[in-house]
Amino acid sequence: MSFDYSKEIPIIEGGPKLADIDDVIARPLDTRPDRKFYIALSITLTMLAIGAVSLGLTFYYGIGMWGNNQPNGWAFDITNFVFWIGIGHAGTLISAILFLLRQKWRNGISRFAEGMTIFAVMTAGIFPLIHVGRPWLAAYLFPYPNEHGIWINFISPLIWDVFAVSTYFTVSLIFWYVGLIPDLATLRDRTAGKIKKILYSIFSLGWRHSNRHWHHYEMVYLVLAGFATPLVLSVHTIVSFDFAVSVLPGWHTTIFPPYFVAGAVFSGFAMVQNVLIFVRKIFNFEHIITINTLERMNKVIILTGSMVGYAYAMEFFTAWYSGNPAEQFVFINRAFGPYAWAYWTMVSCNVIFPQLFWFRKIRRTIPYMLIIGILVNVGMWFERFVIIVTSLSRDYLPSSWRMFYPTLTDLGILTGSFGLFFTLLLLFIKTLPVVSISEVKSVLEGAQPSHLHNGSEEVISHSSNDSGVNHA
Amino acid sequence: MEQERLTGMNNSNNSDNNSSEDIKGSRFWRSLKELGSDSEINETKANEFMQGVTDDFDIKQLAGVSRRKFLALLSASVAFAAASCSNYKDKGEIVPYNKKPEEITPGIANYYASTCTGCSNACGILIKTREGRPIKVDGNPQHPVNMGKICAIGQASVLNLYDPNRLRKPIKISGGSPSEIPWTNVDDLMIQALTEAQNSNKQIAIITGKIVSPTESKLLNEFKAKYPNTLFYSYEFFNDDIRLNAWKKVYGSGLPPLINWDMANVILSLEGDFLGSEGHSIENIRLFSSKRDGYNKKEFNRFYSVEGAMSLTGMNADYRMRLRPDAQLEFVLNLLNEVNNRLNKPLTINGNYSLHSFAMQHGLSDKTIDLLVNDLLSNRGSAIVYAGSKLPEEVHVAVNALNEILGNAKLYNRDEQQIVFSSSSDKQQWEDLINNMKNGNVSIVIHYDTNPIYHLPKDYGYESALRKVPLSVSLTEQENETSSLCTYTLPINHALESWGDYNIRTGIYSLQQPVIYPLYTTRQKEAALMVWLAGNKAAFKDNMYHEYLMSNWEKGLFQSMNMPVDFKTFWFTSLENGVVQNTKAGREGIQQGSFSRSSVSALSSKPQSNGFILYIKHNYNLGDGKYANNGWLQELPHPVSKVVWDNYAAISPETAKELNVETNDKIEITIGNRRQEFPVFIQPGTADKVIVVEAGYGRSKAGDVGSDIGVNTNVLLTKDIQLAPFIFNNIAVQKAHGSYNLVTTQEMHSLDETRVKDMHLKRGIIRQGTVQEFKENPGFLEKEKREQPSVNKDVQYKNVKWGMGIDLNKCIGCNACVVSCDVENNIPVVGKDQVDRGRIMHWFRVDRYYSGTPEDPIVYNQPMLCQHCDTAPCENVCPVAATSHSPDGLNQMAYNRCVGTRYCSNNCPYKVRRFNFFNFRDHFADGYYQQEPIELVYNPEVTVRSRGVMEKCTFCVQRIMLAREKAIEENRPLKGSDVETACQQACPSRAIVFGDVNDPESVVSKHRVHELGYHVLAEINTRPNITYLAKLRNTLPEDKA
Repeated sequence: MSFDYSKEIPIIEGGPKLADIDDVIARPLDTRPDRKFYIALSITLTMLAIGAVSLGLTFYYGIGMWGNNQPNGWAFDITNFVFWIGIGHAGTLISAILFLLRQKWRNGISRFAEGMTIFAVMTAGIFPLIHVGRPWLAAYLFPYPNEHGIWINFISPLIWDVFAVSTYFTVSLIFWYVGLIPDLATLRDRTAGKIKKILYSIFSLGWRHSNRHWHHYEMVYLVLAGFATPLVLSVHTIVSFDFAVSVLPGWHTTIFPPYFVAGAVFSGFAMVQNVLIFVRKIFNFEHIITINTLERMNKVIILTGSMVGYAYAMEFFTAWYSGNPAEQFVFINRAFGPYAWAYWTMVSCNVIFPQLFWFRKIRRTIPYMLIIGILVNVGMWFERFVIIVTSLSRDYLPSSWRMFYPTLTDLGILTGSFGLFFTLLLLFIKTLPVVSISEVKSVLEGAQPSHLHNGSEEVISHSSNDSGVNHA
Repeated sequence: MEQERLTGMNNSNNSDNNSSEDIKGSRFWRSLKELGSDSEINETKANEFMQGVTDDFDIKQLAGVSRRKFLALLSASVAFAAASCSNYKDKGEIVPYNKKPEEITPGIANYYASTCTGCSNACGILIKTREGRPIKVDGNPQHPVNMGKICAIGQASVLNLYDPNRLRKPIKISGGSPSEIPWTNVDDLMIQALTEAQNSNKQIAIITGKIVSPTESKLLNEFKAKYPNTLFYSYEFFNDDIRLNAWKKVYGSGLPPLINWDMANVILSLEGDFLGSEGHSIENIRLFSSKRDGYNKKEFNRFYSVEGAMSLTGMNADYRMRLRPDAQLEFVLNLLNEVNNRLNKPLTINGNYSLHSFAMQHGLSDKTIDLLVNDLLSNRGSAIVYAGSKLPEEVHVAVNALNEILGNAKLYNRDEQQIVFSSSSDKQQWEDLINNMKNGNVSIVIHYDTNPIYHLPKDYGYESALRKVPLSVSLTEQENETSSLCTYTLPINHALESWGDYNIRTGIYSLQQPVIYPLYTTRQKEAALMVWLAGNKAAFKDNMYHEYLMSNWEKGLFQSMNMPVDFKTFWFTSLENGVVQNTKAGREGIQQGSFSRSSVSALSSKPQSNGFILYIKHNYNLGDGKYANNGWLQELPHPVSKVVWDNYAAISPETAKELNVETNDKIEITIGNRRQEFPVFIQPGTADKVIVVEAGYGRSKAGDVGSDIGVNTNVLLTKDIQLAPFIFNNIAVQKAHGSYNLVTTQEMHSLDETRVKDMHLKRGIIRQGTVQEFKENPGFLEKEKREQPSVNKDVQYKNVKWGMGIDLNKCIGCNACVVSCDVENNIPVVGKDQVDRGRIMHWFRVDRYYSGTPEDPIVYNQPMLCQHCDTAPCENVCPVAATSHSPDGLNQMAYNRCVGTRYCSNNCPYKVRRFNFFNFRDHFADGYYQQEPIELVYNPEVTVRSRGVMEKCTFCVQRIMLAREKAIEENRPLKGSDVETACQQACPSRAIVFGDVNDPESVVSKHRVHELGYHVLAEINTRPNITYLAKLRNTLPEDKA
């Protein structure tokens, strides 16, 4: 194989026209949902309903419906929380950090990844509220002046969580919405339906694709990207404090913040990669979300997967090097104790299988990457399970050791969380452009003035208002 | 505009006027002008408001809702809101005392002295009542035997008073269907039947338990005098008859003596459970543990236990050897022979014995045996050999001989003796009774608070005989197996509703007084008999037994004590104290028979069997099954195995291999034609080929809580005793189909798993050493102390700071503290399924750790409760600040604030926090413990926690607050000694001390600076306020674990 390294690989393949981009991306919004969509929706709604019933039982009878016990105060609840927060990491990383790093390949996938972030954080946000014994008093977790004269406990990492997650959600939502504005305007200009028109008009905030608008937009987007970037790092850092700040062996570890962030990016990318594989196929986005893009994502997966693997190794090293017998026991117990199956599931899914991405073929073949992506998500769910449950189930006093066994309600709520996430995702696909029209246009071949070697003199205006006009 | 608005009003006014005129037929006027129908006046009248008053608003702009309508709606909605949002915590009206009883002040507890009737030990108790309802039972400190302590069962017995399953009215069963019947009818029928039986010369059988009450005994005799055909049959399921008979054989007369355990330097216990279930365990624990005191290193006793079942007593031994119960005779004869030889043969012993070959044969350590023999010989007169009450008579005879030649009779208590008013009926008597019942010679059977169908061996055929008796009566608190076959089930008072007196020791009389009026239409069982004795139903009075008791005391004890006061003073003083000590009377009755050498020479070893042995043991929680319906006791972990809600077949790991079973498999035990299946529990420390099961479970009619819990062992009993009533050799054992789920509060870890083995020692959770080590180097533990500096500034606690000290040497793991805490702090019963899930709610637990081998484990007990750490990890992580630290050093819990994140529990290194996963009162057995009148048992000073709330030990903060109130009232500073926690109050060995750590004079401060004092997990710098004294074992240093 020989490559022409002097020429950048086009991000959007096939050199589509600007108008084609509009058509392709807006097609799912213009057409009525088909049978397949309803089948998919009915599956996710069923999952959601299972979750709702399980949650109803929990609210009616109490946390006892779950497998949690003494000493496993947390189990599936917080595992799911951390898992979904982790999933929510890819979006902002792709849209903010890769934006700041001028990684243009992100443009085809950023919108979708951001959407997933929002939905994953929404799903995650449910768990801190429902995991408490008295959810009707969950408002106590927020600082508000009250007649009791009691303030929240700012020392508690759970409070930091409340702030971190809500900040992250708010910023992600605004970032996502700001990015949507030009596309909403394009859609407004395209659509013929009255209600759609009104809605698009309202939410596009009077966008007219004017140069001035673009100027402000770019500035806001840049500022928000700068604002969101530290959040990507801070949210999971703070989530990891839930564990790192405690005194429990296996939780009390300084490696947790970077390890959690890497793990979050790892699982988030795997989830985005998984879902995009279906989206690009179903909606014919193969030329927009190209194999090249997916390969790049896989490269991020192999990087973060290796970081996670390094963290696993370092945990063992730290435990050994600390000379703390309790710490050492926890790690040996993870690998060889009653939850060894979970530990080795985690290690194989997170460390071993992603290494297959070193092979170009595997990295670029859809079925392989799909399977590895799924395994990464399974592995990352188990990582949180292993951290939480193995540490809790065998801590300091052997007299209090006890195994955790999940109940049907636990599984129901886990199913429900997937149901909620995918339901929101399906609705998103049919209501909003899952690929950023304006951003894709900006990376079309020849979209940017450049000094290309092929001598093309054609300079296409950055703005896409012409397309809007065409369809008006 | 204004006009428009008022037109309508005008009209209506007019019509009102008109209609009123129509009705009344007369016209009322306020002024002459009005009467004259002045139009100006009429207009003014119609315009209620002067022109311009209502100009400010336009009725049309008010969208059709007028001010009145709005106000009406507002008040209606407020009224609805107020009516519908009734406070869910409001459980009804609070009615103040109309006429306040003199002695009751709401909010202040009253204490009454009484006597516990849970078993025949009759401990003195102090009952705490609040607003007239008993809520806690503790030992009576003035009682000379139990000295302020009672066992777990006694503590929990208060729950039985409020048990929703208690019988409320007499029940007649005819044609299989029960119906209620008034007492007066019962009386009529009974008097008639008794008279008839007497006239037709038919037997009246009364089946009683062990009688320890002098007045009751007198009453029964009077009953027999009136109805001479009456015959009494008496049994106590677990009794000391074997020991008694052996004593009689060796010493000719008298009763086996009490033992001064506190004077014994060496104790050898053969299958004995004197700290758990035999004799007066509360007294035994106190005396025994006084020689295992971390403050008194010179006076440690050395305790050898040779047993087949892992008992509460055995786990506290310094040296524990495993031996089959049927080899005990051989062992004790060998030992006797050895000692006899070493003492130049004061006794002639027939047969050839060799202790060493015996030890070899049974895998006993030669070294330990040597040490034992030397210890016994070098501590002559200050050692004691004790045989368990279930061992065959010959063992007891040999043990008596052993103690005799060692001069250990010095340890027998010569001042006091046990007293019994009834003797157990023997096999012949029971057979006669049953034959007579079958022949129709018995016309009335009265079960005097006994349950023979459950307790008697099935081969007596009592059940079928009872069906032939025309009139059968059960006097009982709750329905049971026997009462369900009786014609009449007559409900009797709970002990806390009853009068009584007890005399279990020479010169010690304790009184029982009711602390609450009978909750239901029940009678004292004595009163029921008295009415029938009087032969007249009108004779019944509420206080008839009370009067009888008083007159008996006036004529009896009061006369004999020759007091310089009048009877009333004597009586009320006695009631107040709960106990009377008659130092004058009875002493001369104690006589020591002379030792009969022939009884020893008659002993011979029996042919050894090496088949399986079934050993039926006393259980630690349910008594003889009487307490099966008590949830607190069912949920109390077994002291050794920590199993709850079940009994099981305990076998050794080796036997499990042989039978090819694991824990939770089932085995079937067959003795002749009697068979029963048991779930298997592999209990380290059990002798090989011995199957140990505990009786008292498997009740078929015990109530909603206790029915069909565990397996009934009594079906294996037989009247034809071969070895001993509860020990069976040559049984057939085989693996049965199916499995069972035994639930423990502590996970079982394989003892040979290297990673987990001895973790409690490696982590310094249990610190230990030997007595000798401690004597030689008192600071031997110092090197292991890992108190850490803190980067934070330490909080200074001025005034009182609370702390606790627990002496692991004294703690024997009896669980009295656990139940005391349950009762004091309203701990809910969660049920077996929830314990299985790890959701037991006990704030106070006794952790048990094994080290050594699975065959011969060394056991450590450690009471574990909230450590009230100075730098509590739980407090930092609570997001809502629901758990915080008090200025007096308590780790507090604000239930109202708790949202239930469980983070505090995760971060607690001691895992002492408990979460309400459900509303457990509602969740357990369909809300059994939510039924009336169970809520009366709650301590009103302690919040009943709702679901979703975290809870834990508070150091009995309600008691601290009470003491503080008192101190403020008396204008003095609060002292540490003012407060006694519930666990401390209950501890029979006084292992728990509590007080002010800022007071250098307090016991607890001394604990903190004691050489043996340590904090659990000190290395994580939680700075606990519970100081444990390290466990010392009185073994030779090379035998250290």
